[in-house]
Amino acid sequence: MCAPVGHTATEQAGPGGLTATEHRLDNGLRLVLSEDHLNPVAAVCLWYDVGSRYEVKGRTGLAHLFEHLMFQGSAQVKGNGHFELVQGAGGSLNGTTSFERTNYFETMPAHQLELALWLEADRMGSLLAALDEESLENQRDVVKNERRQHYDNVPYGTAFERMIALAYPEGHPYHHIPIGSMADLDAVTLDDARAFFRANYAPDNAVLAVVGDIDPEQTRRWAEKYFGSIPSHGGKVPPRDGTLPDIIGAELRVEIREEVPARALMAIYRMPRDGTRECDAAELALTVLGEGTSSRLYNRLVRRDRTAITAGFGLMRLAGAPSLGLLDVKASARAEIPQIEAAVDEELARLRTEAPGAEEMERAQALTEREWLDRLATVAGRADELCRYAVLFGDPQLAFTAVNRILGVTAEEVRAVAAARLRPDNRAVLAYEPVTSEDTAAPAGDQASAAEENDKRDGARQ
Amino acid sequence: MTDAAVTMDFHPQPPPGQAKPWAFPVPGRGALGNGLTVLHCHRPGQQVVAVQICLDMPLDVEPDGLDGIAAIMMSALAEGTSKHTAEEFAAEMERCGATLEASADYPGARVSLEVPVSRLPKALDLLAEALHTPTFPSSEIERLVRNRLDEIPLEMANPGRRAAKQLAQELFPASARLSRPRGGTEDTVAPIDAAGVRAFYQAHVRPGRATAVIVGDLTGVDLDTVLAGTLGGWTGDAAKPVPMLPVTPAGTGRVVIVDRPGAVQTQLLIGRTGPDRHDRVWPALVLGTYCLGGTLTSRLDQVLREEKGYTYGVRAAQRVLRSPAPHAAGRAMGVSVLAISGSVDTASTGPALDDLWKVLRKLAAEGLTETERDTAVQNLVGSAPLKYERAASVARTLAEQVEQHLPDNYQAQLYARLAETSTTEATTAVIAAFPVNRLLTILVGDTSQIKAPVQALGIGDVEVVTG
Repeated sequence: MCAPVGHTATEQAGPGGLTATEHRLDNGLRLVLSEDHLNPVAAVCLWYDVGSRYEVKGRTGLAHLFEHLMFQGSAQVKGNGHFELVQGAGGSLNGTTSFERTNYFETMPAHQLELALWLEADRMGSLLAALDEESLENQRDVVKNERRQHYDNVPYGTAFERMIALAYPEGHPYHHIPIGSMADLDAVTLDDARAFFRANYAPDNAVLAVVGDIDPEQTRRWAEKYFGSIPSHGGKVPPRDGTLPDIIGAELRVEIREEVPARALMAIYRMPRDGTRECDAAELALTVLGEGTSSRLYNRLVRRDRTAITAGFGLMRLAGAPSLGLLDVKASARAEIPQIEAAVDEELARLRTEAPGAEEMERAQALTEREWLDRLATVAGRADELCRYAVLFGDPQLAFTAVNRILGVTAEEVRAVAAARLRPDNRAVLAYEPVTSEDTAAPAGDQASAAEENDKRDGARQ
Repeated sequence: MTDAAVTMDFHPQPPPGQAKPWAFPVPGRGALGNGLTVLHCHRPGQQVVAVQICLDMPLDVEPDGLDGIAAIMMSALAEGTSKHTAEEFAAEMERCGATLEASADYPGARVSLEVPVSRLPKALDLLAEALHTPTFPSSEIERLVRNRLDEIPLEMANPGRRAAKQLAQELFPASARLSRPRGGTEDTVAPIDAAGVRAFYQAHVRPGRATAVIVGDLTGVDLDTVLAGTLGGWTGDAAKPVPMLPVTPAGTGRVVIVDRPGAVQTQLLIGRTGPDRHDRVWPALVLGTYCLGGTLTSRLDQVLREEKGYTYGVRAAQRVLRSPAPHAAGRAMGVSVLAISGSVDTASTGPALDDLWKVLRKLAAEGLTETERDTAVQNLVGSAPLKYERAASVARTLAEQVEQHLPDNYQAQLYARLAETSTTEATTAVIAAFPVNRLLTILVGDTSQIKAPVQALGIGDVEVVTG
């Protein structure tokens, strides 16, 4: 049975009067519902509390490869039936895997909502009835090609993977990125996949959000009908602890000589965890420094010094480990890395010592608010945010108030987080020096120790 | 839980409920005193308003030897105005929470503004300033030119971009603007200067040759007053018609390899030219192309991805490059590129192309099935309400209609026509679009690994280029 829990009594209206209710089935599945009748569409989003941080040594990439297997059929859905049925109903769908979660989503014409719920329930409850060696072998090849396409065959494609491996030490659950290594992908067995499903795919390890042109009572009945009999798992193994000191302690640095088209300076700074006020302050600090075309770094490097073609600095929020500040500067043809780095350091030092002025705060807040309006502008975007706050912070309602928390941050708090975190001793740096193909045969310093991985967004998609 | 034992209760697949009506919005149309055409569309709930300014300025109008001047001029609109320096202008826009992008494409140029509705008047004021009183400071033009020169090698390092450049070069004669990159090459960008940019602006940017598309939740917005006080102040000469040179597409069945020693994948781009949206075959072409390669369950990915694992995904699609008004003189000048694209691991290049051609031959021999056609229609038509949730998506499609000289109800009509298109029509269209003996194949990959297996396929003579 469904029983309302938590915050339904203190339902808060978000931007545009958005609200959500939360319910829990007896098997532990959390259900979040949010009505919006402006368009005849409904989004279904299912977050499983499992991501690459759960993977063990020798099996990197398993969570994402498994996500692919979720599209290969279940007891009542043959082969590619999941894709065929959703698309044939006028829906769109996909799944993605990040460090901290795996999500599956369908956006449907409203009258096809029930089909999406039926499909998600079928694979949650009966995937192993269909999972076989042939699917595994096929999707292993597909994922290896995904890795080649997005990481290995692209200039700077492995930068993120290398920086992550530097910033999170060996053995840390975030030391590798979700795509995994080729060797580990090769090593996955059918038994690994089955064990992964049994350990992580269960109603009590998931949040289901349904947003849009829905009848909440009817949707609850459908959720109960299709998901209600799936046994809960119980005894979930918590993720390995991702706690690290606030500061790396000394700059980590790798010079990379590779066949890339331009010099580049990239870095990861260790930032406060998501869910803290310091993390919200960090978002504004990085917006002041590196978002848009009038940020401090853009004005300095691209407009005035003219040493860079692009200059960006953004925040990747993480809840189970320190978040990441990602710096990415592509150099102009004549510029050298040391002059760029000196300018970056000057700009960081300025923010560490002096709070941003009112106009800069206004700009950072306006851009942040805009980003939230974009995220919440579609039913799918809203469903994903509701799942995020439910899975990572236990309360979906936080999605509607997130932007207000960021807007409440003061200029002094922005300065303080910069002083605490945006320091040379708190970064892992990659400096790219282009070489021609003949040069690459020569040993290229010590970068071989870095693992491989790269995705500026939060995961690998189906 | 024991192994594969399933303990849940199963239910039959549920039938759909009652579909609710939805139609692609037909915009309101008007004009300002300065000649600017306005299309507006109220989309409840869409707090971020999308504005598209379409300039009737196809790339054909660029002066000889200065390919890329349109793109530089469009970017420079925001880099200094009568009231603001480049830095001030960008900061003012971003304090509105606005994003502004400018681009120049073969059919026309565009400025795209997205801004929360609460700051729409302020952002439109800035936009009007950029369109009406850009100053094109020499120093900013120099910076944009240098930046563009630095960007070209970055773009060409991307295998997909490199393949697209080669395809255009092979499909069209060198004299046609369509054969050359939108943003120009090193040789044509280097000589661009502020004087040239100013002259180009004077010749081509004026309200009488522009359309403003405005989409979003306009509740409480007095659009007429806001527009009169902003874009209404933009002045310029009366519009002059844009001449358009005829293009005779070249191209027969052959293969060009762009050599990338050591590449772990081969980028494929296989295509030829096709008609524009004015052509009656368009809905059948859309439908047939979707069945061939629109999604993971289409014919190409069924084999290349889901059966063989050669790729993360291969897609077939069409892109309109030029689309003059249907009653313009020499009407047959509309042109699109129809192409299959994707990447496969280097070792699988030969087998993947072999399978790809087998898919095309089977399609040509047997045609599409009724089920395939029905599923495609249900997806293409059924997914429209979700595809057009955002104001920006609606604005983009309306802007494309303007740019391609299509009627305001084109997209709405397209859905009706897709639903009427038969399996036979879709089959005929897609077979004509991808004839196995007349496809141009661009491969960006490691020649030493792929040339021999590709030659062995007999899909055309193989030429190797570098760079």
